[in-house]
Amino acid sequence: MIVEKIFNKWILFFLFLIPILGFVFEEPYYITLTTKVVILGIAGVGLNLALGYCGLISFGHAAFFGLGGYVTGILSFHAMNSELMFSWPFVTSGSSEMLVIWPIVILLSAFLALIIGFLSLRTTGVYFIMITLAFAQMLYFFAISWPNYGGEDGLSIYMRNSLPMVNTMDPLTFYVICLFWLLLVIFISAKLINSSFGMAFQAIKQNEERVKSVGIETFKVKLLVFVISGTITGLAGSLYTDLNRFISPSVLNWQMSGEIMVFVILGGIARLYGPLVGAAFFIVLEQTLGSYTENWQFWLGLILILEILYVRSGILSLFEKKLKYEK
Amino acid sequence: MKNKILNIKSLSKSYGAFKVTDEITIDLHFDEIHALIGPNGAGKSTLIKQIVGSVKHDIGSIILDQEDITDLTDIERAKIGISRTFQVSSIIPQFSAIDNIILSLLDKSNKTFQLFKSVKNNKELYLNAKIILKEIELLEKRDISASDLSHGDRRKLEVGLALAMDPKVFLFDEPMAGLDENGTKMMINLFKKIKSNSPILLIEHDMEAVFALADRVSVINYGKIVATGTVDEIRKNELVRDVYLGYEI
Repeated sequence: MIVEKIFNKWILFFLFLIPILGFVFEEPYYITLTTKVVILGIAGVGLNLALGYCGLISFGHAAFFGLGGYVTGILSFHAMNSELMFSWPFVTSGSSEMLVIWPIVILLSAFLALIIGFLSLRTTGVYFIMITLAFAQMLYFFAISWPNYGGEDGLSIYMRNSLPMVNTMDPLTFYVICLFWLLLVIFISAKLINSSFGMAFQAIKQNEERVKSVGIETFKVKLLVFVISGTITGLAGSLYTDLNRFISPSVLNWQMSGEIMVFVILGGIARLYGPLVGAAFFIVLEQTLGSYTENWQFWLGLILILEILYVRSGILSLFEKKLKYEK
Repeated sequence: MKNKILNIKSLSKSYGAFKVTDEITIDLHFDEIHALIGPNGAGKSTLIKQIVGSVKHDIGSIILDQEDITDLTDIERAKIGISRTFQVSSIIPQFSAIDNIILSLLDKSNKTFQLFKSVKNNKELYLNAKIILKEIELLEKRDISASDLSHGDRRKLEVGLALAMDPKVFLFDEPMAGLDENGTKMMINLFKKIKSNSPILLIEHDMEAVFALADRVSVINYGKIVATGTVDEIRKNELVRDVYLGYEI
């Protein structure tokens, strides 16, 4: 575990180093790429709380990622077109202020997670996987059939949303914003994991029957974990829309849920920095193998198979072992 | 009625045509250890599951400390004072022994939903957990992962988890199974000590331990209580000797 902590510090070091190098060598593309890693890492950190630490295999986290993205896109779209969003029961216009958008995204993602969690956590195992998938697919098809916001073609926003006294269009500045959120959600996750609440949800993953027998209301614990997890992933969706200045139904599709799950599994389930490492590995593969073949995901599949067979605890555990041998 | 803390009336459970428990009426007095014995498959563990609420009974009622708990969930029953051990050790394998005990202390100390305060810094929880670990002679092994404990130590930890809840009644399902002589002695002394605070309904196959501990014994066979009495009465009961004890005891 100590070795993993050292490795985590190296990860942080690279998170600061890469964009600085991109800035110095005037390669904004690498800053944007690292920003994408950070945002997808946030989504993975969110899912990791539910999947990795509490054993809730959600195959519907795209719902939260997409909701965060669409809320950001829609608010921004209305603000930029100076259109009212709705006039009843009260007049509401959009907003292109991140400080307005983020709280709305957080509240709505939490609310959606509360509804999905309340209904789906009555099931377990494969039924839980299917019900969370079904919710996300419902939202996906709803987004496709909603022409006001682009339907299948998606929704473009012309400018990145703004933050007071900050130029969010600058890649490095936007990267710093995303990095702030990443460090905050990792900090929150660490606090949760080490708390008595964290003890309860990690115990549920291992033996829910025992946890019930000591009087702990496991449904409430799981629901709260699911809500926190969904909220974090929703926030990632918001940042993702701002990064691309575009949102489309594809982020609500089951493939997105699968990708977030892949980040967690690749990096290491129930490891604080695992999803970030997984997301980085995924993006590096996409960029390198993707330049040779369109079907680069064939190789991703092969890597996943090998990992699950030989390095089940994820990439981080691989480094942990290597470092241990070097000692 | 007043000296009964747990009163079970006509509790029945069937799986199809097979009656696992058949109109079981049994009670537990204050300050008492009431042993429940019988052959394997007689329905002892199913009865425990029905009392704790993890298996829903078909008919019957359960009164705990003059409160009808028949319709409460398993978690609600645990909260109001029913604490159990499992027939097969059911602990949190990746937690250390002390963390297992702390988990059991969380609900009682209203700490389950403490979201951001590190549990490692909670001195009160650790102190209470250490007291329990000392009782079950696992203090020295407190930092060992539960999955690495021996079978006997896991049985002790099971009992420790139940103790930590400070319940109104204990339901112990074969707590001494697989323990060595010292472990069994420790359990017998511990049970004698704790029964005045929280009486015990004890399922156990170790007849020496049962006879050393029990104030009353009930015998269950094919889901029915066939006899209830003191240790001497049960030992002399012909029917009990036929169905379970045999004639060598």
